[in-house]
Amino acid sequence: MTNNLQKKERTAVSSNPILAVENLSKSYGDLRILKDVSVAIEAGDFLVLVGPSGCGKSTLLGCIGGLTEVTSGNIQIDGQDVTHTDPAKRDIAMVFQSYALFPNMSVGDNIGFGLEVRKVPKAERDKKISQVAELLKIEPLLDRAPAQLSGGQRQRVAMGRALVRDPKLFLFDEPLSNLDAKLRVTMRTEIKRLHQRLNASIIYVTHDQIEAMTLATKIVVMKDGVIQQVGTPREIYDTPANIFVADFMGSPAMNILVADVTMDGLMARIEIAREDGQEPLILYDPNPGEGIASRPAGALKIGLRPEALTDLGSRSVNAEQQFDCLLDVVEPAGSDTFAVIRLGGTEVTARMHGDVDVNSGDTVPICFDLSKISYFDPKSGERL
Amino acid sequence: MSAISRSREKWVLLFPAILVLSLITVLPFLQTVWTSFTDAEITAREQQVNWIGLENYIWALTDPDFLEALGRTMYFTVVSVGLEGVLGIAVALLLNQKFRGRWFLRVIIILPWAVPTIVNAVAWRLIYHPDYGALNSLLLQLGFIDSYTSWLGDPDRALNMVILADVWKNFPLVAYIALAAMQTIPGDLLKAAAIEGAGAWKRFHSITLPWIIGPMLVVLILRTIEAFRVFDIIYVMTRGGPSDGTKTASFYVYQEYFSYLRSGSGASYAVVVAGISAVLILAYYAGIRRDQRGA
Repeated sequence: MTNNLQKKERTAVSSNPILAVENLSKSYGDLRILKDVSVAIEAGDFLVLVGPSGCGKSTLLGCIGGLTEVTSGNIQIDGQDVTHTDPAKRDIAMVFQSYALFPNMSVGDNIGFGLEVRKVPKAERDKKISQVAELLKIEPLLDRAPAQLSGGQRQRVAMGRALVRDPKLFLFDEPLSNLDAKLRVTMRTEIKRLHQRLNASIIYVTHDQIEAMTLATKIVVMKDGVIQQVGTPREIYDTPANIFVADFMGSPAMNILVADVTMDGLMARIEIAREDGQEPLILYDPNPGEGIASRPAGALKIGLRPEALTDLGSRSVNAEQQFDCLLDVVEPAGSDTFAVIRLGGTEVTARMHGDVDVNSGDTVPICFDLSKISYFDPKSGERL
Repeated sequence: MSAISRSREKWVLLFPAILVLSLITVLPFLQTVWTSFTDAEITAREQQVNWIGLENYIWALTDPDFLEALGRTMYFTVVSVGLEGVLGIAVALLLNQKFRGRWFLRVIIILPWAVPTIVNAVAWRLIYHPDYGALNSLLLQLGFIDSYTSWLGDPDRALNMVILADVWKNFPLVAYIALAAMQTIPGDLLKAAAIEGAGAWKRFHSITLPWIIGPMLVVLILRTIEAFRVFDIIYVMTRGGPSDGTKTASFYVYQEYFSYLRSGSGASYAVVVAGISAVLILAYYAGIRRDQRGA
């Protein structure tokens, strides 16, 4: 197995996509689940499909795995058209949310099932099973029945069954959703470590944006069967393509507020209304970009991450853009303290130091960092 | 309420059922066992009945006709239950697929089972009829036979024809239970097996069959017990004939009692049949326990 893995590492630099999905659509009757989806990944990529439930991410995974018949479009794995190929012949492995372990077989037989089907001789099979068991630290469990295992152990066995065949592509369908919160974090780290170690090509479906951010080398955000944005976690976080992505990725969500934006020389002047009776907030963005500079003045939606609104002494902020704000609610979260402020007719969240000494109802100076501000079209919600 | 009075309450509540069961089952059974040790005849007066010990049993177990009837019953049981199992699972696999009209087929498939045995038997007797039976007509038109055949008239063939009618009637029960069991198989299991490379046969053999084996065992043992006692379908279709070709153990007992009126020896045959049934029932309970352990 090690040899194969090294081979795979070498191919990771090639520019041929290991998976290419082109113009894929899937409908059930009149219901369109996937609408013209195209996405490609390189060998060694960890692609996370993320979106709210019903966005089509699991259907897309099913199409890639050959479990769901596609309506139109095509799918290539390692340069071969597999759009209508039997799942068994796609050289893929899949880890299911329910683990899908075969209840009548021991752990070892579960892991070796795919090898047995492919008529791999028993001695070789046993060797591979024990290698994978060692990798996943489940050697003592090989003779047990799946019913005797804990959730985390079942998860490992399911991964073992996928790893043992050393396929071209791994598909993970919400693999951590059935685990408790603490175990989920541990397993997340372990999956990431496995990916780094094996340099495997992975497609991973989740509705959890933190899993997406932490695991992915590339994220696809989906909504209503349409890809909203494809990018690295950093790109998705810093430059969301629209208000949906801005709101969905990141916790707490990005603050989206209405502001009047006018050009003042080379800077953008951003005027945000405050609660009745108070002076509006005037902020200046020194680098608004061409899209804003060439736009007629008017109301826009702007997006600011909670960490762009913070207390003094935090991070690198422009001290000039500092305003006294009334803290509506203060929520200490240990490492951070979140404060809700009313701005622009809506509630926005500021991310303050964890050890800051503030209470609800206090008025404290808040710094505004506009270096990563996003502007959105107020009607379409698209990034400007 | 104390444990003792609760326990007494149970017995009070169970008493009517126990009484009725005793009167209609336990007493007649004990009487049958007693009769089997006598030379009683249905027409004889009570004072003429003599205790003859194991003579009836020795007679029964050395009677070649009875042993042949037992053998015939075994054959009937093994072949009909075997076919019901295979056909039932095959039909369940079919009904478990997604296709247009599946619901309609699922509903009508139960019809043979819903029809009373006697009606089914009469219907099949008509289908097999040597002069105007549908089977003859169908096979002749398809060119499989040259002339009309008396399906139930041949002693070597009659039992198989009765088995066919019995399988037709009873496979829907097996199919329904198999289908119900198959519907509890998590879809992910079959998907995982498909991705692992298992073809349809391997998926059936490694996933589906082990999953449904418990319920299948229960229904097939139940069917075995029923098949072993087979009487009504034979009574209606062939009356044990021709030349004893379809005479099963239960029918043999019936004839001994009610045709030859020998209640003593008839009782001993009945006890033998009951004893074999008891073994099958024990096997049934073992099957249920195994099923529960598996769950």
